[in-house]
Amino acid sequence: MKNLATPASFVPGQPDMWAFVLFEAMLFTGYFSVYMVCRMQSPELYLRSQAQLDLRVGVFNTLVLLFSSWSIARCVQAAREGRHPAALRGAFLTSFLGLVFLASKVLEWSREIRKGFQFTTDGFSSFYYFLTGIHFLHLLIGFVVLGVVVYQLWSPARRSQELVETGATYWHTVDFLWVMIFSLLYVMR
Amino acid sequence: MSAGSDKRLLVAWLALSAITIASGALASLGGRDALRPNAALTFGVIAIALVKVRVILREFMEVRHAPALLCRLTDGWLLFTAVSLLGTYVAGIATS
Repeated sequence: MKNLATPASFVPGQPDMWAFVLFEAMLFTGYFSVYMVCRMQSPELYLRSQAQLDLRVGVFNTLVLLFSSWSIARCVQAAREGRHPAALRGAFLTSFLGLVFLASKVLEWSREIRKGFQFTTDGFSSFYYFLTGIHFLHLLIGFVVLGVVVYQLWSPARRSQELVETGATYWHTVDFLWVMIFSLLYVMR
Repeated sequence: MSAGSDKRLLVAWLALSAITIASGALASLGGRDALRPNAALTFGVIAIALVKVRVILREFMEVRHAPALLCRLTDGWLLFTAVSLLGTYVAGIATS
């Protein structure tokens, strides 16, 4: 187990994960920029297509992921202070909230597809399914990561604080990428 | 440390949630007019999103405790994203 005292300045989790986070962040900035360039070619068309989306679902999904980020942050703190049962509860709550987001997203997609709003409908719909789809893939990987966090916290013989922090860093990335996607797909005009 | 950190996380989470609800409400104001191009709203929305991401990075991901290099890299990415998105938006408006 890593030392309980936190140094004044430290990198949370493994530095390799931070390299991955920064790489992913740059990659998504590229996606967002291409989306913005295409959107500005025909803003009226994109806005008409955007009207198909339910803003309330977008807000709900964002709140769920923010809640999950908060719970995994508390999990990290609890683990650092040696309160492992509380940390485990935080990891389970995060997983549950991830499942809520997953179910909500699948329901939203199925509703949109039934309405005829499909990947090939127009430019906006293509970006909508691409960006939310690739984010969904990151969410699925997040469940594996949360599984590792739970596995670490489960047994006193393991409990690597570094791995718990690394898993949390990944999960927060899933959250902040969604914050950007929500703003660009659901809210901007 | 625990109570102070817990409170800080709680404040960050409540602020992020409140901003999300407020931006959703702002975007839905105006009924049909809400679905017309609106540069001020778009600028605000992108700026608010980047502020939210910075709060997540600094408070939840603990970048505020990280070495200066990581702080600079994350802030640099946020700045790059802001320039890229807002620049594209402005260029798009100017050429349309």
